[in-house]
Parts: sequence; C-alpha cells; structure tokens
Amino acid sequence: MSPAQPETLARAAPSRAARGSINVAGIAKTYGATTVLSGLDLAVEAGTFVTLLGPSGCGKTTLLRLIAGFIQPSAGSIAIDGRDMAGLPPQRRPIGMVFQNLALFPHFSVEENVAYGLRLRNVPESELRRKVGTFLDLVGLGHLGSRRISQLSGGQKQRVALARSLVLEPSILLLDEPLSALDLQLRKQLQVALKEIQRELGTTFVFVTHDQEEATLMSDRIVVMSAGSIQQYDTPPVIYSQPANLFVAKFVGELNEIPGRIAAVTAGTVEIDGPGGRHALPVNGTRGFSPAPGASCVIGLRPERISILPPDADAGGRIVLPGTVVERIALGPVLRFVLRCGEQRLVAVRLASHGAALPEAGAACRIAFDPADAQIFEPLAPPAAASFGEKP
Amino acid sequence: MTETQPASPAKALLLLPVLVLLGLFFVSVFQLFSNGFADADGWSLRYFRQILNRSDYQVIFARTILSSLTVALLSVALSYPIALLLWRLERWRNTLLIVVLVPWLVSLVVRTYGWLVLLGPKGVINGMLAWTGIIEQPLALMFNDLGIVIGLTHVLIPFAVISILSSLLAIESNLEEASGVLGASRFQTFRRIVLPLSLPGAFTALIVIFLASIGAIVTPIVLGGMSHQFVGSQIYQEVMYTFNLNKAAAWSICLLAISFLSLLLLKAIERRLIGTVE
Repeated sequence: MSPAQPETLARAAPSRAARGSINVAGIAKTYGATTVLSGLDLAVEAGTFVTLLGPSGCGKTTLLRLIAGFIQPSAGSIAIDGRDMAGLPPQRRPIGMVFQNLALFPHFSVEENVAYGLRLRNVPESELRRKVGTFLDLVGLGHLGSRRISQLSGGQKQRVALARSLVLEPSILLLDEPLSALDLQLRKQLQVALKEIQRELGTTFVFVTHDQEEATLMSDRIVVMSAGSIQQYDTPPVIYSQPANLFVAKFVGELNEIPGRIAAVTAGTVEIDGPGGRHALPVNGTRGFSPAPGASCVIGLRPERISILPPDADAGGRIVLPGTVVERIALGPVLRFVLRCGEQRLVAVRLASHGAALPEAGAACRIAFDPADAQIFEPLAPPAAASFGEKP
Repeated sequence: MTETQPASPAKALLLLPVLVLLGLFFVSVFQLFSNGFADADGWSLRYFRQILNRSDYQVIFARTILSSLTVALLSVALSYPIALLLWRLERWRNTLLIVVLVPWLVSLVVRTYGWLVLLGPKGVINGMLAWTGIIEQPLALMFNDLGIVIGLTHVLIPFAVISILSSLLAIESNLEEASGVLGASRFQTFRRIVLPLSLPGAFTALIVIFLASIGAIVTPIVLGGMSHQFVGSQIYQEVMYTFNLNKAAAWSICLLAISFLSLLLLKAIERRLIGTVE
C-alpha cells in the first residue's frame, strides 16, 4: 500500500486528535434469559487501535454492534467523543463500519461505493471527486476507481470497504472480522496495511477478531473477552507476559499448564506441590487470585521459558525436572520440542541456531525453568472456560 | 473447447428422447410456416395480406399489445409491494408465499369464470355498488378490455411476485445496515440500494408476463367476449370454428413475430435502464 500523504488528511489531522474516544459504562445485553454481555466497562482513548478478542460467542460482536447502534443495550451507557449515544441510530453516530461480508453495493462502481456517503451528505461534486480520489489512493486503489465490484479480488474489496467508511472521516471505525474470509498470505498483507492506515489517519479503530495472532500484531490495546465479560484490557506485551487469569494466558499465546496444589504461602514465596516434588515460586507470579494453602492451582509456563539442559550443565538456580524428548520439530527459526516429565506433557521452543546442543527425539533430558518465569493461576471453572452463555 | 469423451452407443441412445422432441418441434414449426405461406392453390401471402389489411384485425393486434403491456405493468406494480412484504416478514414468508401461489392449484378456466361472477352486470361488484346506491346503471366491467386486463393480471401476478422476491432475496443481508451507517435514511436506502438491486427481477417479470399475456386465449374468450378478441382467441376461432388452418397459421406467425420483436425491444430497454447485470 502506498503511503499516500494527501493534503486533506494532513489538514484534518489536528481536529481529529480530540475525536475518537469511547466510554462504555456498565453495558449489559440480555436476550430473554440469555445474558450476552454482563456489565462491561471500557474506556478507549482517541486514536487507539483496539481489538476485541475472544472465542466465538464471547459477546465481542454484540459489543461492536452496541457501539454501532444496531442494537440497544439492556443497561448501561455508551459515549463517543464524550457524547452519550443512547437511542441514536447508527446513521447519527460518528462511526464507520466495515462488515464481515464487506456489504459493498454490487450495482455501483468502486468510485460510487466510496462516494455513496458523500452523496448522501450533498457534498459538492468537485470536492466529492477529490475526496474519493484521495481515499482510493490511501488504500492503494487509485487506478481501479471505475471497476465494478464483481471485477475485484478479495483483498481489493476489503480496501474498497475501508475507503468507503474512511472517506466520511468518522471518529471511530468499527471492523467486524473483515479479514476472516481471506487466505493467510493476503490476510497478513492487509493486517499491515490496516495498521499503517490507522496510524496515518489517527482514527480510533475497534477491530473484532478471534485470532490472537492478528490481535497481537495490529493492536495498541487488546480487550480479551470471554462469556460476556472483559477478562483483561491492556497492551499486547502485558497481556502476553502478565495475563490476568488462566483463560487469558491460554487464549493469547501458547501455555504449558502444570497442575499443582498450594502447600504453604510465606512472605515472597508460594510453595507448590507439583510434578517433581515441592517447588518454591515467587508470590508475585500469582495472577488474579490470592493463594491459600490446600487450594489447587495451575503453574503456567510459556514454551520459550522452558530450557532443555545437557546432563552435566549447571542449573543456575533454576528448577530442574527429569524428562524425555518426545518430538523435535524444526519450524524455520525455532525448534519446537514436545517433552514428557512423568505424566506431564510440556512444549518448549528454542532457537534453531542453538539446535546443535539440544537432544534428539527419544533422548532423556533435563527440563529447567526459572521460578521467576512461572505464573500461578487459579484453575478454570469448567463452564466458564467452555464458551458462550449464561454468566451467574 | 472442452475435451469430449468418446461416444459410445449406449450414450447415443440417451439422446434419443431429446432428438424425438426436437424433431417434433421442427416438424410442427415447418408445418406452421408451410401452412401460413400457402392457400388452397399453393404458395401465397394471401392470408397475411388479409390479416394485415383488415382494420378490425388491426384493432385486435393493437388491443393484444396494449392490453398485454398494461397487464405487465400493472402486475409488476401490484406485486412489488407484495414481494417487499414477503421479503421483510421473514417468519411468515413461506406461509404467505403459499397464499400467493394457491390460485395456481385451481384451473385457469375455473378462475376466469370466477371473475365472470364478480364482474358481470349482475355480478357481486355491480350488485354491491348498486345496493349502496353509488351507481344506478351497472358498470361495464367485462366483455371489454378492462375485463381482460383484470383477468390476466390476476392470473399472472404470482410470476411477478416470485421474480421480484427472488431478486430481493439475492440482496446481501447487511447492505441496508451498511447504507444506514453511511448516513442513509430508510427511504434513501430503499431508493438507492434495494430498488435498483431488485429492478432486474421486476424487469424479468415484466417481460415474462407480457409474453404470457400476448398469447392468452382463455381469459380473452371468457372475459372479452366475441367483440373483444385477442390474437390468441382469434387463432382459436380460426382453428375451431372456421377450420381455416392456413389463416390460423398466418395469425400464429404474426404473433410469433410480435413476441420476438417485443422481446428484443424489452431486452434493449432493460440493458439501457439497468445496465448489464452479472
């Protein structure tokens, strides 16, 4: 995508900086006995790329449609740019929307699709032409303006849908899984393009996806949702390294889960009975609950935090468990190991460049991790982990 | 060119029914043309001259074309709201569709006689109007062009409903939502998105109904009476009462020509109006 810097955008930029904030307070949505959203609070700063991330049925699309005004909340309020949106239909909200199926108008050309909203606003023809041209250039389709929609590829259609919404310069652009229908290669290209456009315009983007990689790649901040409530709202690195609970840790990135039982809690450390005996872990590794002796817990380890030591190497303060290598898979820059330690299956990821020193499949090995890398979670209650539905 | 599979005798046998049908079709068309361009003494354009020169026959042509056009326009205009309603009322769509189609379960002749009961000088409509004192003399609702138009419209309307509904159903589900977010009111969305996208269906209905109506026989005979003939009913008369097969064939060729030319004309208008729709 060509990084066009048209003068309209530059000129409009300062005024836009103030626009684009969203304040969601106590939003709930119920359909009969089914609660889809239960009392959400969310504050989005202007100019942020926010992703609503969660499994299907977690309520992320419902939240998006509430912000858009297609549906009205059962309780709570939504403010955009500081203005309460209660009762306003979508056409009276300062929003744009890119739909999952794009919803382009098949009887219009590319240009006419983009011009549609401007025509409704009676924008003079010369200004309309200029704006349509500017935004088609922005999405890299300046040369295809007279094409019919049916003559475009999937990626080009995405860009038309984007330009059609952005040309109206909304405070907020809502995107409902618009990339889900594309193949991987194209999706990656468009992820980068979307992010670039968002940064260039400074418009607030609210993007819905169930793909955690997509969310991590594009977002300034991620809202992790599950079963109708927000599990965590933070930047991608924080969500990955300090997940609020086991659901978030499992949903964003890969996680080794080692079941254990809390034996004792002292100042600074939690002693946990787990595979290989009793381990003392730092108490600041606990996520979202206060450990009590006797309670069961889950020790979470990211695959890149697990080392595989040669038999004679110094453990250097790390916790060491005996194990065997079940599989060793080369994935380009990294090696992926599946290890076994007693009944426990663990996944480790090491740099391929260190591969020579690492054991082959079938070999015995020493599995080591730094106590400071271990995270201690409360086990998931089975129904809450499952999916969509009735929250108590 | 796609590759063809080697022909086997068994497969050739499968073609037989098609060939028989095609053969019969061509034989009958040949028969029609050889009858039409001949009289008792051999090749002749006598019947064509007769048909095209008689002023009462010209009236029949004009009536057939103008009434059919009226029927087609009226059917589309009346069925558009019905189709729109069926489209909107998703839950009731199938039930209502049955209501629209149920008349097709009743024979055409029976339905046309039903209109006779309603439209006649002492029929239900005139009876009611006279009883309420709105009229003193019965209105001429049948044995004229009006009766034919009413009857044909009633018979052909389901075609239009189905055709328009199918093009409405082809509209992607959230185009209306998209139009709304972009700032359109409900009416603007209808005028700029829904209506243009459903026009192809409406135009197909227009063409199909016009062609069906132009060849109508039963309705013009029953509701038009002797004085208000259609080309179709005229052909029927030549065959059944005057046994002039040559003249009937000449009539048929004229009808065929009219249908064909109108189809070309309507298609040209459609292209101009709607553009090439993929």
